[in-house]
Amino acid sequence: MSDWPERTAAAIAGSIQRAVFTEEHARAPGWLQGLDPRAKLVACLTMVLAAGFLRSLTALLALYAAVLAAAVASRTPLDLLVRRVWTGVPLFAGIVMVPSLFLGRPPYLAAHLSVPALWSAVVFVARVGTGVSAAVLLVLTTPWADLLRALHALRVPPVLVLVLSMTYRYVFLLLHALTGRLEARRSRVVGATRGAEQRAWLAGSAGALLDRSFQLGADVYAAMLARGFTGEVRTLRRFRLRGADAWAVAGAALLAAAALAAGTALP
Amino acid sequence: MGGAWRPPVVGDGCSGEVSRQLHIPDGYLSPFFSVGSGVVTVPAWSVAAARLRRSLRGRSVPMLALLSAFSFALMLVSFPVPGGTTAHAVGGTLIAIVVGPWAAVAGVSVALVIQALFFGDGGILAIPLNCLNLAVVLPLTGWAVYRLLGGARPAGRRRLWAAGVGAYAGLTVAALAVGVELGLQPALFQVAGQPVYAPYTIAQAVPAMLVAHGLGASFVEAAVTVLGLAYVERLGARSAARS
Amino acid sequence: MSGDLVFGLRGVRYRYHGRRPALDGIDLDVRRGERVALLGANGSGKSTLLKLLDGILAPAEGTMTVLGEPVRAVPSGEAAHRFHRTVGLVFQDPDVQLFSATVLDDVAFGPLQLGLPDAEVRERCDEALGRMGIARLADRAPFELSLGEKKRAAIASVLSLRPDVLLLDEPTASLDPRTRWVLVDLLRELGAGGRTVVTATHELDVVPAIAGRAVVIGEQRRVVADGPPADVLRDRELLLSANLVHERDQPL
Repeated sequence: MSDWPERTAAAIAGSIQRAVFTEEHARAPGWLQGLDPRAKLVACLTMVLAAGFLRSLTALLALYAAVLAAAVASRTPLDLLVRRVWTGVPLFAGIVMVPSLFLGRPPYLAAHLSVPALWSAVVFVARVGTGVSAAVLLVLTTPWADLLRALHALRVPPVLVLVLSMTYRYVFLLLHALTGRLEARRSRVVGATRGAEQRAWLAGSAGALLDRSFQLGADVYAAMLARGFTGEVRTLRRFRLRGADAWAVAGAALLAAAALAAGTALP
Repeated sequence: MGGAWRPPVVGDGCSGEVSRQLHIPDGYLSPFFSVGSGVVTVPAWSVAAARLRRSLRGRSVPMLALLSAFSFALMLVSFPVPGGTTAHAVGGTLIAIVVGPWAAVAGVSVALVIQALFFGDGGILAIPLNCLNLAVVLPLTGWAVYRLLGGARPAGRRRLWAAGVGAYAGLTVAALAVGVELGLQPALFQVAGQPVYAPYTIAQAVPAMLVAHGLGASFVEAAVTVLGLAYVERLGARSAARS
Repeated sequence: MSGDLVFGLRGVRYRYHGRRPALDGIDLDVRRGERVALLGANGSGKSTLLKLLDGILAPAEGTMTVLGEPVRAVPSGEAAHRFHRTVGLVFQDPDVQLFSATVLDDVAFGPLQLGLPDAEVRERCDEALGRMGIARLADRAPFELSLGEKKRAAIASVLSLRPDVLLLDEPTASLDPRTRWVLVDLLRELGAGGRTVVTATHELDVVPAIAGRAVVIGEQRRVVADGPPADVLRDRELLLSANLVHERDQPL
C-alpha cells in the first residue's frame, strides 16, 4: 500500500512553490502583467467560453496559438506553461477518454478503435487544454490580490473579496501546520503502514487543522477590531482602464467571435 | 522552482478513471450546463451570505476565511479508493455541524473558487456547478441526515454516529450528482453521433462515481468528520475560553 | 502637569473562562511620553494586559481609565473608532496581524477603516512603510516575507493609524541577532518625539535601549517592581522570583 500522506507533502510543497513563483512572475515586465486585471479577467473568460463552445479542432488550435502568443509577449517561459497545463487536467482528460474510443462508431482502426471517437477525443482534449491554458496564463500574470479585486468588477460583493483574500492568505498557514503534522508522522513511521493508520492520521489532522482554524479566526478578528474594523469592508480603488486594456478585451472578443464563426465551417 | 505540480493519478485505465475527483473541469460539460447551474448556486450563495451576516456579524469574515482555508487544505490530501483512482475529503459536513450549514456552503465555495483560480484545476466556468455539488449538495445533505438521525439536540455518541452517517451521505450524494451531470452530456450534446463533451453515459458514469466514493472516499469523509468532531468537542472548553 | 495620565489601572483583574486569573490586581499608571517596558515571563499576563490597554478586552474587576475616560466595557462603534485611532497594538504573532493579501493592503486597512480618503490613505502608507524600511515589500504577499520583515510590516500596519500610544507585544522575540537589533533601533526611533510606548517583553537585554521605565509583573500576576531599567535589572533576586532569569543564567 503506497504511502499517500507522503505524496500530500509533495503536493503541499509544490503548491507553495507554485505560489511563490506565480507572485514573482506576475510582477515581471511583460505585456499581460501591465494590463488591468479586470480587462484580463474578461478576456480570459471570453476565451474559455469560446473554447467551451467550439467543436472545430482548427479553430481551437488557433485560439491556443493566440494564448501562446500572449504568453510569449508576457515573458512566460513556454515550456513552463505547456508543462503546467498539459501534465494536469488535459492529460487526465485524455486518460478518461480512452475507454470511449472503443465504444464509438465506424470506421475502425485496429482493435475496434473508432476513428470518429478518436477525433472527438482529440477535440475534447484540445478544448480542455485551451481553456486551462488561458486560465493558467491569467493567474501567472496577475498578482493574486489584483485578481481578487478584479472580481469586484464582476459584481462580487466586497465582503466576499475580503474573505477570498484572507482565505488565500491563511491557506498557507494551514498548509504549514499540515506539513508539521506530516513531519511528525514521518518521524514515527517505520516501514510500510496500513491503510487504517493513514486514515487515522488524516482524521486526526483534520481535527487539529479545524482547531487551529478556529483559534486563528478568533485572533484575526481581534486584530481586525484593533485596527478599527466595524464589519463594513472598504478597499483602496486602484485600477483605471486605459486604451491598452480596451484593445486587449476587444481583441479577445474578436478572436473568439472569429473562431466561433470559422468553427462552423472548418473541421 | 521544482517541477509543475501534478495531481496524483493512480490506476491503470478502465471505467474507474472516470471519477478521479469530484471537481469537474471546463470542457467536460457544455458551458450552458456549467454556467447554467448558477441558477441554483447563486441564490444559495445569497442565502448563505445573508444568514452569515446575521449570525456572526463582523466576526464571520475571518472565521469564514479560516474555514475555507481548512476545506482547501483538506481537499489537497488525496488518498486511493476502490476502482484504482484517488479521491479527497471535503470537510463540508464537518463545518456544517460545527458552525452551521450555510457557513459550510460559503466556506467550501470560497475554497473551490480559490482552487479553480489558483490551480486551474476545477475550471472557471464550472465554478457554479462544482459549488453546487460540493458546497451546496454535500453539506446540506450531510447536515440534513445528521439532524434526522441525531435529533434536535444531538449529543454524545449518537451525535458522532449521526455525523459520520451524514458525512457519508453528503459525499455520496454529491458524487451521484456529478455522475448524473457528466452522464447527461452525451445525451444532450452530440455531433454526428459522437458526444461533444464528457463521453460517458449515465449508465457508465454513475456506477463509477458511486463505487469510488460510496465504497471509498465517503468512508474517509465520514471518518474525518467523526474524529474531527470528537477532537473539537474535547477542546470545546478551550475554544470557548479563547473566543 | 507633568504629563497627562494615559493609562490608570487600579486593582485590575482578568480571568479567562474557568482558569486561574491572567491578571490578579494590577496597579499601574502610564503618563504621556513615557517609554515603558512591561517585563514578565511567558504566560505572566503581559499579553492580556496589553489587550486590556488596547480596549479589546475589558477588566473583570478593578478600574481602568484611558486618557481620562473610565473603561468598563469593550468600546464599540464610534467609541471604538476613536479609541483605536489613538492606541495601537502590535500583536505578538505577525501572522494574526497581516491578514490581507499584500503588505500594502494590511498597512492601508487601518486608515481605510477610519474612513479617510484614498489620497491620504496612500500618503500614510508610504510614511509607515518608509519608517519601517519596507517600502519595497509593499506588493508582496505575507507568505513571501521572513519573520523580521513580517514583524516590521505588522508594526507598519499599526503606524499608519498614527496612534499617540503604541503597544507592542514581544516585538523582538524569535528573531536572529542582526534583525533583532535593527528592530530595536526602529523601536527606539518610534519612542522619540513624545509618543507613549509600552513594550511587553521577556528579553532583558533590549530593555535599556527601548525603555526609560521597567515594570515587572510577577508570577502572582501583580506588579512587583516599577522603576528605571538599570535599577530593576540589577535586582537579581527580583528577576529570579519573577522567572525572568534562572540561577543557571549568566548575569547580564
